[in-house]
Amino acid sequence: MSESRDPNQITNRRSKFIEAASRGKILANKCAKCNHSTLETVYFCEKCSSDVFTIEEYAGLGNVVTFTIQSVAPEGFTDAGLYAWVVFKVDDAPFNVSGFLKDTHTPSDLPIGSKVQVTGFDEKHGLLLERV
Amino acid sequence: MPNKVCVLGAGSTRYGKLNESVVELALDASKEAITSAGITPKEIQSGYISNVFGVSDKQVHMAPVIMSNLGIPYTPGLTIESACGSGSVMLREAFANVAAGFYDCVLAVGVEKITQVGTVQSTTLFSYCSDFFYEGGNGASFPGLFASIARAYLTRYKATEEDLAYVAVKNHENGILNPKAHVRKKITIEDVMQSPVVASPLKLYDCCPFSDGASALILCSEEFAKKKGKSYVEIIGSGRGASPAAVQSREDITIIPSTVNAARQAYEMAKITPKDVDFAEVHDCFTIAEVIDCEDLGFFKKGEAAEAIRSGATRRIGEIPINPSGGLKSKGHPIGATGIGQVVEVFEQFTGKAGDRTIQDAQIALTHNFGATGASAAVHIFKKVN
Repeated sequence: MSESRDPNQITNRRSKFIEAASRGKILANKCAKCNHSTLETVYFCEKCSSDVFTIEEYAGLGNVVTFTIQSVAPEGFTDAGLYAWVVFKVDDAPFNVSGFLKDTHTPSDLPIGSKVQVTGFDEKHGLLLERV
Repeated sequence: MPNKVCVLGAGSTRYGKLNESVVELALDASKEAITSAGITPKEIQSGYISNVFGVSDKQVHMAPVIMSNLGIPYTPGLTIESACGSGSVMLREAFANVAAGFYDCVLAVGVEKITQVGTVQSTTLFSYCSDFFYEGGNGASFPGLFASIARAYLTRYKATEEDLAYVAVKNHENGILNPKAHVRKKITIEDVMQSPVVASPLKLYDCCPFSDGASALILCSEEFAKKKGKSYVEIIGSGRGASPAAVQSREDITIIPSTVNAARQAYEMAKITPKDVDFAEVHDCFTIAEVIDCEDLGFFKKGEAAEAIRSGATRRIGEIPINPSGGLKSKGHPIGATGIGQVVEVFEQFTGKAGDRTIQDAQIALTHNFGATGASAAVHIFKKVN
């Protein structure tokens, strides 16, 4: 489902992205001028520089493009156990997104191309994923 | 056509875990560069300082402090930050101002002081250089980001983790010969392969160290350099590039567009091709980075650098020596200084000061330095002046 909007009325794009992610969705912008789609957090179309967009919401499903398993975690993630940071191609979208996938112990747990799904967003670990 | 710009002097502290403050490190390197150039501080018309984490050593707005302590408090300076690429991006600005004729002689000093905060805090601070909303905020450290790039590369090109290990072994082989290197230690392929995993597929010895240190240059016009009658090096090419900040937004994760574009500009300005480069100092923050750099800079075709490195093509006696200084991997990576430190190596190579690291008969050298995962980059090309 799409809706037109005046970009001047948007005050916090990241909050909107997070709200959609918390429902398991990926929020994007479709350029009203050239139809190029990018993530919600981009302010101008990178193809034609228009700032008039239509909101697009994608089911938070996708295929793993690449990933790492963080054996040495940064602050805020040291209590997360072995987890993966994953880049995945969003189904039906022309872009990738990245997120946090807990309980990933070895690379064989997550073959390239395997399916992942957005399950939410939390302040501590960001965009949460699970294997499908 | 810009004016010719020359490197008249160079200086550097040792890289490593150092006791001096961030300001003292910058001053030590600057004094050495000033002495090397045979000038007095009062001949410097502007200062360019690159630094990222000065706040961790209780000093931001660093330029006036450095200029004041060099005895030239009324000479303007500015501080430039571009993550790990700060040095080369700052060099570009200094180069541009001399090339444009605004100044005849400037100081370019890069500095970093980070080891005092410890490894966990350093890892966290570095993650702020990523596109944090999508990367650091989702648990990716810098080793993690490059590990994801490595996995993409190894998967596509059928290269191996052992191929990456050859980068580390070669750079340590060079770093042993550099008295100012952070990690002067010979390592083997087995050492790399058996070192602890940091972020799969990257292991500890695939990663550069956190380093303190400073490096400085005196840049000047050709006319100024000739008047001094000292050995100097000419900058014949300069380019800058950018990439999408987040790895997820790259069309091809195994290419760093900022490097490709900066290199193209620099080669065009210098009127040379990659085949004309006699050696290069490239940004090997992780072993995979050097593999990709070598391809993006045009030294090898896409997907072929890993095998070339394994064959010895990038050793000091190879067809294109890469990182004779030891690179970030062995010499160290004080991130605000790295891009300037690379030029110090070029200066020493071209003025007979590189000792056993000397690349015989070299006339043209290239430096390549990027910020974060290559979101920003600069490439410079140098010619030995005989």
